[in-house]
Amino acid sequence: MKKGMIITMPRYDDVTEYFSQFSKEVIKEAEKELLPVKALVDKEATKSSFEKVANSLQYSLVVMNGHGNSKEIFGQDKEAIISEGVNEQLLVGRITYARACEAAASLGKLIISINNEGCFIGYELPFQFYADITWAGNPMKDNTAKLFLEPSNAVPISLIKGKTAAEANENSKRAILKNMNKILRNADKDSLAVAEALWNNYEGQVVIGNGEALL
Amino acid sequence: MKNKINSEREIETSEEAKKLVIARIDAQVPSNLRLSIGSFGGMSKEEMIEHVEKGDEMGRQIIKSHLRFLHAQSTGKITRALISAE
Repeated sequence: MKKGMIITMPRYDDVTEYFSQFSKEVIKEAEKELLPVKALVDKEATKSSFEKVANSLQYSLVVMNGHGNSKEIFGQDKEAIISEGVNEQLLVGRITYARACEAAASLGKLIISINNEGCFIGYELPFQFYADITWAGNPMKDNTAKLFLEPSNAVPISLIKGKTAAEANENSKRAILKNMNKILRNADKDSLAVAEALWNNYEGQVVIGNGEALL
Repeated sequence: MKNKINSEREIETSEEAKKLVIARIDAQVPSNLRLSIGSFGGMSKEEMIEHVEKGDEMGRQIIKSHLRFLHAQSTGKITRALISAE
């Protein structure tokens, strides 16, 4: 594997729109560190495109945005990009961060069982976030969604900055707790609801495989 | 194991759990926020309550999430975690 990042950014509903907008921050950090990036955006985020890119570019980091379940990660229009028993070998030996619900529950474990030099950072519970409809047209200005998506971004950003997978996971989880502290101190009407969803992501986020893996 | 799953399911769909979670959602979620859980995007507070009342898959997910949080609160797990991040 060589240093570089493949990132999928489907955009076809509110959730994928938010994930993709916030992913631009990850790409910015990669560019600052002169890390080669191949982004599959919108209609490029398909199984065939991903397979072609993953086979030709041996980049060590894969960031997958989108919906999913315990055995699949979806791309554009809910097409499965990675499926257990179909093409999970494309992620073997790499560091994968899946911002897709529950993929760690089964798919991540399978990938690591094949080769545990890489690792899989993802969620054993469905990823949750609140968004403020006031900012639906400009997700980057949504301070509520930021409470969830900035700690989530901390995983790939920490890896890009040279941290190990375990450190990246720890940084992200600490950021979740800091945001919980912040909103609970504010004691706004939505504080407990937001804290509860943040706690879900904190408990659900796991590293499977080699925690010492580096880009 | 099957018994554990069945009893967890009973708790998630019990009327007491539903009432508790609905009251929490009603009190805590303002009308301008939308919750995404996994593939279910953009639920308003009213839609969350509807799912909980129906007891469908999303309703059970919502209840589970609330109960996990309450359990973590009552055991001090959240407090310890928050202190560790200071």
